[in-house]
Amino acid sequence: MYEKTVLIKDTDLRREDKTRQAYTQFLDHLRQNDQHSRIQVVRVADVGLYDKGLVIKVLPDRITYANVQDRDLERIANSLCENKEAIKDLVYKPKVKQEKLALRNCGKIDPENINEYIACGGYLGLKRAIFELGAEKVIEEVKTGAIRGRGGAGYPTWLKWNFACKVSSEQKFVICNADEGDPGAYMDRSILEGDPHSVLEGLIVAAFAVGASRAYFYVRAEYPLAVERIEKAIKAAYDYGLLGKNILGSSFCLDAEIRLGAGAFVCGEETALISSIEGRRGTPHPRPPYPSIKGLWGKPTVINNVETLANIPQLISKGGKWFAQIGTETSKGTKVFAVTGKVKNSGLVEIAMGATLREIVVDLCGGTLSGGPIKAIQTGGPSGGVIPQELLDTPVDYENLQKLGSIMGSGGMIVMDEDDCMVDIPKFYLGFCVDESCGKCAPCRIGGFQMLNYLKKITEGRGELNDLIHLKRISYAMQKASLCGLGQTASNPVLSTLKYFENEYIEHIVNKRCPAGKCNHLITYKVIEDKCKRCGLCSTNCPVNAISGDKEKGYSIIQEKCIKCGRCFEVCKFKAIYKK
Amino acid sequence: MAKLTPDELEKISKSNHEKSSNWIKVGMSTCGIAAGAGEIFDFLLEEVKKRNLQIEVKKCGCQGNCYAEPLVEVSVEGLPAVTYGKVNKEVATKIIEKHVIAKMLVNDYIYDSLT
Ligand SMILES: Cc1cc2nc3c(=O)[nH]c(=O)nc-3n(C[C@H](O)[C@H](O)[C@H](O)COP(=O)(O)O)c2cc1C
Ligand code: SF4
Ligand code: SF4
Repeated sequence: MYEKTVLIKDTDLRREDKTRQAYTQFLDHLRQNDQHSRIQVVRVADVGLYDKGLVIKVLPDRITYANVQDRDLERIANSLCENKEAIKDLVYKPKVKQEKLALRNCGKIDPENINEYIACGGYLGLKRAIFELGAEKVIEEVKTGAIRGRGGAGYPTWLKWNFACKVSSEQKFVICNADEGDPGAYMDRSILEGDPHSVLEGLIVAAFAVGASRAYFYVRAEYPLAVERIEKAIKAAYDYGLLGKNILGSSFCLDAEIRLGAGAFVCGEETALISSIEGRRGTPHPRPPYPSIKGLWGKPTVINNVETLANIPQLISKGGKWFAQIGTETSKGTKVFAVTGKVKNSGLVEIAMGATLREIVVDLCGGTLSGGPIKAIQTGGPSGGVIPQELLDTPVDYENLQKLGSIMGSGGMIVMDEDDCMVDIPKFYLGFCVDESCGKCAPCRIGGFQMLNYLKKITEGRGELNDLIHLKRISYAMQKASLCGLGQTASNPVLSTLKYFENEYIEHIVNKRCPAGKCNHLITYKVIEDKCKRCGLCSTNCPVNAISGDKEKGYSIIQEKCIKCGRCFEVCKFKAIYKK
Repeated sequence: MAKLTPDELEKISKSNHEKSSNWIKVGMSTCGIAAGAGEIFDFLLEEVKKRNLQIEVKKCGCQGNCYAEPLVEVSVEGLPAVTYGKVNKEVATKIIEKHVIAKMLVNDYIYDSLT
């Protein structure tokens, strides 16, 4: 049995990996001092720090040394051999740490075992709500905690609950919105799959607070595993008397069931979602009346997002004051982000509100895949915008992101580098919104289509400077006149790229050039004669036989035939294909 | 199953959800399963049975490090609990033979970025 464990990893990607060398050195040193049976050394694949040179972590003390030089290695080894304290001047204190509230049990417990959830403090929030607080004080706690909706708009949760609570009605409903349709976002799926009881408990507490007798999970059918785990969670809760009649022996009764969404993005919008549950076509309706006053079947209905609900049990069991300590002035608690795109470590990150984009993407996720600079970060999916590299030190909260022309949204975060085109990206998102628009109102249906046409025109090299003015005008009209959030925010990706990367649009329009080399119509492939070794690899690989010539004469590309697939550029070993 | 009273709930909440400090947890959410966690789970279960080892193999959700799936967290008495990433059958065999049986951490596959 070892007393200590030493983890070693070289995190400097610019040089030859020194992990093995340092490992051997360290081990030799332990052997010389006859300590290798007391202390074990392990090479690891990832120590959680990036670009910090050689990193050494000592367990169980969790002391971390970063940027360790050769001479320090011996000092550290000695301090361990002699059982001395940590070497202060070498210790590295991480700037940011994840803080797991919504993901607290994900990866820790068996999601299909209710006892494990309870053993981690589960359903104690519900118990406190019923037996200590009562409905009004539950809403008070949520108000003190000041949690805001994690589904996109950031509306104060307590307010919604309060409206629904105050309306008198013989029946009320609560709904968990698990429609999660943003491309690239999967935090809600992960919570439901990893800890379904936390969401269920949140939903039961919400029902108790507003006086609802029926609860629904609205889950997209593309999430079969999440559906399966919610089903099991509901069943286990019924068995334990945490759902059904007289919950925990009290007078509170609640039934819960799952409704499957067919995967239309707009059905995540609350009024469309309600229509869909009612068995009608999933199209939005004008608000007010808000669902909390008049929702499902005309009854007061609270709709909350998965992550919002997952935070509720702890907020109630530990109290609103505890919750409100975390985060910034206006945005309390944590947020889960799904970091994807050109990032080294893609995955879920949960961090207290107020962390900067740079901390999330660089410190926690290791920066870009290529090690090169970040060009921008897209947040908020199709309703959000891009934030350029120079603003990455902005602390993330609802207000700050909005000021920058983006939104927090549900928490998708896409990292982009030099190869991403700032006209192509908004074209992708707008295309998504045009596909998903329900067509009910003209600004979104027609405006979105027109905007997409302008973007297509620009990326195909037919753009005019006037198009930019049209784009902006249609954007404003859509923001003002669309019926639901989809249309109101669909132009955000365009407006924000126009704000920060207008030059890139102009380059496409005036010089007919795509700086990122993404827009097919604006790039040409050519064989550079001087570099071409006449191997013929490009010619054999071209799918449309657009490269003529032979090993004697050399090769050239017939532009009329070329479909710009980029194969030749990729396969040429001599970098003899030019792309511009 | 009997309906719980508040006291019974309290009692379960005071129990330890990990019955012993010997366990292997495999991340079995969509991301893990897509990366082959199901196969690794079955493989580990079988190896443990075949070799008659006193260790529980369990399912859990995703820890968030989707880039390193399949993730397998291992706790063996006397060793710090660690998470192995990008686990294939070869690594899983090493986990069983080296970590669980010989009680030594396996080189090169630990992902310690989860804290
Ligand atoms: C087009 C559109 C799609 C939406 N999709 C979702 C979704 O997938 N999940 C979600 O929780 N909220 C979604 N919303 C937001 C919901 O309308 C609603 O505000 C949210 O579920 C309220 O929960 P919260 O207060 O807990 O955030 C969407 C809104 C719009 C306009
Ligand atoms: S804004 Fe778009 S999605 Fe929303 S109601 Fe109008 S057409 Fe439908
Ligand atoms: S880009 Fe594609 S189509 Fe064009 S010449 Fe190269 S391989 Fe052929």
